[in-house]
Amino acid sequence: MRRKLRIYLPFVNAGMQEVATYRVNWIFFMLGEALSCFVTYFIWSAVYRSGDEASMNGFTFPQMIVYLVLMFLTGTIIASDGAYVVGEEIRDGSIVMRMIKPVSYNATFLFQELGNKLPTEIAIAAPMIIAVEIIRTVMSGVFEFNALRLLLYLFSCAMAYLINFYFNICFGFIAFVIKYLWGANMMKNVIVGFLSGTVIPLSFLPTALEKVLLFLPFSSLNYTPVMIYMGKYSGLELCGYICLQLFWVLFFFVLSKLLWKASVKRLSSQGG
Amino acid sequence: MKTIKRALRIHRIFISQEFKRMMEYKGDFIVGVIGFLLVQLSNLLFLWIIFGQIPDLVGWSVNEVVFIYGMSLIPKGIDHFFFDNLWSIGYFIVRKGDFDKYLTRPVNTLFHVLVEKIQIDALGELIMGIALVCASVPGIQAEWDLWRIIAMIAIMPFITLIFTGVKTITASVAFWVKRSGNVIYLFYTFSDFARYPAKVYNRLVQNVITYIIPFALTSYFPALFILKGENPLFNLGMPVLAAAVLMTAGVLVWHRGIRAYESAGS
Repeated sequence: MRRKLRIYLPFVNAGMQEVATYRVNWIFFMLGEALSCFVTYFIWSAVYRSGDEASMNGFTFPQMIVYLVLMFLTGTIIASDGAYVVGEEIRDGSIVMRMIKPVSYNATFLFQELGNKLPTEIAIAAPMIIAVEIIRTVMSGVFEFNALRLLLYLFSCAMAYLINFYFNICFGFIAFVIKYLWGANMMKNVIVGFLSGTVIPLSFLPTALEKVLLFLPFSSLNYTPVMIYMGKYSGLELCGYICLQLFWVLFFFVLSKLLWKASVKRLSSQGG
Repeated sequence: MKTIKRALRIHRIFISQEFKRMMEYKGDFIVGVIGFLLVQLSNLLFLWIIFGQIPDLVGWSVNEVVFIYGMSLIPKGIDHFFFDNLWSIGYFIVRKGDFDKYLTRPVNTLFHVLVEKIQIDALGELIMGIALVCASVPGIQAEWDLWRIIAMIAIMPFITLIFTGVKTITASVAFWVKRSGNVIYLFYTFSDFARYPAKVYNRLVQNVITYIIPFALTSYFPALFILKGENPLFNLGMPVLAAAVLMTAGVLVWHRGIRAYESAGS
């Protein structure tokens, strides 16, 4: 274990340095993302004003706003670049450099990305959680903060990140089929975005579809952590969804290993 | 006259080169177009689900909202189709020092960058935009006279230039800071506000998207005239004015930027 840490910790460090180089760019990117959130906020506020009922499919207006902010935060926490990086390395052949090194491909990449994400995530998560609590208290008049739920949320986010990480690694192997990675990634992001409830809460969909989606891996990404924080899941249900997350982590972990083995056989890299 | 003729000829040569390049990767073409179609489809599903809950959105019916949505996609798609290369300026051409290439050629640099590439992916937005406008029109009770249809087509080039202007100004920032891709992204994202009737937003946002980063002028205001016949002077005049101002500013900032451009080392 200690030996492993000694091998992989430098990757965390490298990741941290990488992100420091492009900080300003990253801020502009986040502002752009936040802007889309604002558009959605105004739409929902118009929708709740136009409708007669205070609650739609189990969401009151304050809850919908909390949902929106939490979705944004969760999306940032669990974001993973794997599909692009793996695809790019397959395409330009630099993946062979990873093959000849005596470290695990996935693990090096995982630690590098953690180094990339941790500083910014801590900087974002704390103020946003506080913002959520302020919004909730002001809009609904009750202070509902629950430390246990926060811990469960963070745990669920960690699982969601691992699912997303290994899912993206698996998806990266699509570079063997599609050369236009940017386009392929965009398609994936749209589909995952919809199926994971980022666009609209799954409870707004037809019941049968919602039931199916709750078992697919996508809802384990953003939806489960957000629902946990909002207190929509409790007791046995909550345990069930966390177990489902664990299952999907394991599933994509194994799948990524299998794909890696298969790709070593298929890979033909040009030049050196 | 001679310069315009020459420019058109250069444009044609660039485009035919582009087509040759694209034919090499036919699969990419399909992936990109379907990708952008899916993005719009996802937004439409959102609209459709929302309208299952409410009769109208701040006084606008489903068909009218879909019309505005479709209307916002057409100029966005045209700009995306013809002038996508500005993103590369922001993300890597300047940073890698590849901009030198444009400086050595006997053509205006901005013109060269704009016409060098076309982006087939944009068909996803264009097809969807045209389809939505066509699908929503039968369900809208408006007086469809010839003038409104002519106005709608005539205004298109101008509202397209609003997109191009914003992109040119923000891409030029790269000449000073090397990398401005995400600056373009931030300002381009303001066009998301154009998808819905501007009435949805509060006063502050309405003013920003009308007078500062004027994407409301690309869909909502023209639609006010086309659908309701309201105030043609403002609803059509402002987009034309905004396009002129933004493009002029774009050209000026671009040429100032070139003076600040330093090529990357070796």
